[in-house]
Amino acid sequence: MQIEYQTQRLSLRFFMLMLVLFLLQVGYGLILATQHIDPSVQAGTMNFNIARAEHLNLGILWILCGFIGAILFVGPLLARREMVAPWLIKLLFYALIFIAVWNFFTLRLAQYGIAGWWHGQPWLQQGLEYLEAGRIAGVLVLVGFAILAYVVLRTFPPVRQWNEIHWGLGLGVTALMAVWVFGLFYVARLDLQEYFRWFVVHYWVEGVWEVIHISLVGFLLVLMFKVDIKSVGFAVFWGVALVWLSGLIGNAHHYFWIGTPEFWQFWGSLFSALEPLPLVFCFWHIYLDAHTNRRPLENAPAFYFILGSVVLEQIGAGILGFSMTFALTNVWSHGTWVTPGHAHLALFGTFGMLGIAAAYYAVPIMRKAPDYDQRLGKLGFWLVLTGVLGLAFAFALGGTVQIYVYRILGLGWFGGDVSRAMGLFKLLLPMFGIVFTVGAGILAYDLFTLGRRVRAPAGTDPRGAIHGEVAMPRGSTGWGRPLSGFEAGIWLMLMWVFGGVITLGLLSFNLPRVRVLADPTLPYLLAGVGYPGLLLVTLAFVWRFLASLEARASLPAPTVVAVDAPLPLPARS
Amino acid sequence: MSCGTGGKSCETPRRRGAFVMLGIMTLAFVALSLFSFMKSRGQVTPDTVSYGPYRAEDGKRVFQAYNCMGCHTMVGNGAYLGPDLTREYEQAGPAWLAAFLPSAGSWPTAAAVRAQLQDPVQHADSGAGTIEAYESKFPDAATRVARRGGKPSNMPNLPLTRDETGQLIAYLKYTSAMNTEGWPPRVEAEAGPDERLRLALGVQAIAPAAAAPVAPPAAGPADPVARGAQLAKDNGCTACHSTTRQRLVGPGWGGLYGSRVSLADGSSVVADDAYLAESIRQPNAKIVAGYPASVMPGYDTLLKNDEVDAIVAYLHSLEKQ
Ligand code: HEM
Ligand code: HEM
Ligand SMILES: [Fe+2]
Repeated sequence: MQIEYQTQRLSLRFFMLMLVLFLLQVGYGLILATQHIDPSVQAGTMNFNIARAEHLNLGILWILCGFIGAILFVGPLLARREMVAPWLIKLLFYALIFIAVWNFFTLRLAQYGIAGWWHGQPWLQQGLEYLEAGRIAGVLVLVGFAILAYVVLRTFPPVRQWNEIHWGLGLGVTALMAVWVFGLFYVARLDLQEYFRWFVVHYWVEGVWEVIHISLVGFLLVLMFKVDIKSVGFAVFWGVALVWLSGLIGNAHHYFWIGTPEFWQFWGSLFSALEPLPLVFCFWHIYLDAHTNRRPLENAPAFYFILGSVVLEQIGAGILGFSMTFALTNVWSHGTWVTPGHAHLALFGTFGMLGIAAAYYAVPIMRKAPDYDQRLGKLGFWLVLTGVLGLAFAFALGGTVQIYVYRILGLGWFGGDVSRAMGLFKLLLPMFGIVFTVGAGILAYDLFTLGRRVRAPAGTDPRGAIHGEVAMPRGSTGWGRPLSGFEAGIWLMLMWVFGGVITLGLLSFNLPRVRVLADPTLPYLLAGVGYPGLLLVTLAFVWRFLASLEARASLPAPTVVAVDAPLPLPARS
Repeated sequence: MSCGTGGKSCETPRRRGAFVMLGIMTLAFVALSLFSFMKSRGQVTPDTVSYGPYRAEDGKRVFQAYNCMGCHTMVGNGAYLGPDLTREYEQAGPAWLAAFLPSAGSWPTAAAVRAQLQDPVQHADSGAGTIEAYESKFPDAATRVARRGGKPSNMPNLPLTRDETGQLIAYLKYTSAMNTEGWPPRVEAEAGPDERLRLALGVQAIAPAAAAPVAPPAAGPADPVARGAQLAKDNGCTACHSTTRQRLVGPGWGGLYGSRVSLADGSSVVADDAYLAESIRQPNAKIVAGYPASVMPGYDTLLKNDEVDAIVAYLHSLEKQ
């Protein structure tokens, strides 16, 4: 495939910026993990809250860079013309760099208690989780979103000609900007402030970003597998509709304990329990769309990350989110390390991996290196996948201990009791963090230099060794045989079974046996089975799925397969 | 085909239906939200809460300016390095907080909390004049003092002014008064304190911790310098002062004795016995240049004359530092 429109090339700089910010963000993550073990590290120079503000801020910024890069790359293809106003896009790029640098200097003012109050607003930094940036940066970000929305909507054809993907992206970029406005006011009441803060955070991740995600995944599949846009459109429509219909009132799962009335516990538990539906739906379509067509994978890393994104969305957002979304489970998980377990898997898994997938799809095309060496990309994928699953494991089990010690036993001394009891899991965090960081470094190196390195020597398969070493001997049996719909269903069910165990584990803290008699056996047992089970099944499933796809490379070229017909078993070569 | 790339949408009628549903749900959501913040619900608001002269509304700004949420949770949202602060005021009370916040690097001792109780604002707010009354009113403060008093904490020192400290206490008073629908969940475990520690940390792990709180020596050591050092520690002085020249919350003690000290009013004095004794008894009488007034509590009624003398002797011994 080649570049069709020159403005598609503008996406390259956003992908590169994404990688730089990603590496910085991960660096801050390692510092945080170290400070959790020894809080005196950097104390007085860069306190934990400063590093954390940077970690969150950069996390949002690089994910946005990935979205923007992906949207710019597919935008002209969707519109069948060049992007309008490329100068605005360049401006957006420099604005993003400016915001990242500006935040680097302003966020650390929190160490001195400087917020930059002027006319009742904090202009330099405002000390609210995820919205740490001050008003100056906030307004700039709003301008950036306005530019993005303007460029996308002006480039797209008239609304009457929109298909489902136009709708998804068009609504997405507009809502991205609209929702941000709720974070731009100082609110004096704590309950009202938290109410509006979740407008930004929840409606972003569980509304806007998911919608952009579904649309982009859909279109990337169209591009990679030449899937029928009509069947993808169907999936995108139902995905988007279900996300918004469940997520709108689902926001109430953040209104259980912030000082808002009790009735939110009912509405929040009910609607947010439906939020995994579109994710199951999207997951299923990945299976269908990638498997009804039997072409060999041309660009393996790009597909690896799309798969990773959809699978981690399923387990990170769908299953771990589900487990803590009921008032009766959230009352325990809330405010503990169980939450960042979900946060890392859902945020990096779903959106981070999508940005990397888009980069792996677009960069080789822009650098004219379709036969690039795919080994580093695959290695990087496995490292970040294992790393982030490990991080979630450490957070979730550490959080389970935290619930027991802090909320059941009522021991409130973090340095003396709580952290000590969580010790093992606090140690695991930087260990998996290092695995993750190595993976991130490999990916960034690969994408920075892709197409500029020396090509693989003639005679070797430039797409990597996996085809030969793993898939060939197994051919179409065992791990490498084509994944059937039935089998994919079993995998999905297994994941949800472990998800159910996790949910029961949180629920079991309500039992008098645990709460009054302080016997932790049941919650520990359920968490000890549920989390590792879920994460290992996930790892195995991704492996299985990819082996099945890789095996195609050794199969004879496909004959046309009808979308709905059961797949005939291919003959072995 | 009409639904190809750039072609028309195939789902137009369904989309209309979805938008209508979304509209209805938005209305329901807005209605529930309006109800949530009605006055008649009786939820406390920060404009109605104060602590002495300090207003909770200002405290919220201080809370955000220092990004407290970057290490702690508040109503459960934020970071998980330190404890949740929603009920902090209710648990520890204002005097413990006033003793802790300006020198957060170490935990307040009983003497440091007692020093805060001299403050009439404290007195009025907590309704307890003696440490005993205070500890029975805020049992959690008693536990904290007993288990952690004088030990280093994991929180860094923050450059809080006295006003900011007061405002923060007012804010925490407000959040403590909020109705958060029963969160954080009440502790219902029946086990006693030692049993809880054993359950949390296992038998071996708590052995050194249990042995740690050394009973204060019944009769102070004879050597006044050693006695002064012990008194400085017990009374929480070293939470704010280093024994070197380093500035913590207050000036460092290293090399202080006999040196010339510039004062906030522009004059200067030599740090002799009389000056040091006065600075312990009435810290606000002479404020060192570059430091805010009214941060340090006065120890006039808390220390006996010979105790002040012992501490001054100890400061003298740090002259060469
Ligand atoms: C890709 C989608 C998602 C992302 C990126 C995401 C991300 C996050 C993040 C970052 C937080 C942490 C907020 C904090 O720091 O306090 C969070 C909290 C939460 N998420 Fe998600 N989430 C996603 C989807 C879901 C879904 C589908 C559900 C429910 C089924 C869900 C349920 C929850 C709940 C209940 C909390 C609140 C935890 C608490 O404060 O007690 N999330 N999410
Ligand atoms: C080496 C990799 C990483 C490590 C070691 C790491 C570590 C941490 C730590 C220690 C915290 C603070 C938790 C607390 O407050 O106690 C944190 C928070 C967070 N990190 Fe990471 N992180 C890493 C990568 C990432 C990535 C790639 C993302 C997303 C793109 C991310 C998103 C977040 C978010 C959203 C939070 C706040 C979670 C919450 O409050 O629930 N992190 N991380
Ligand atoms: Fe949410």
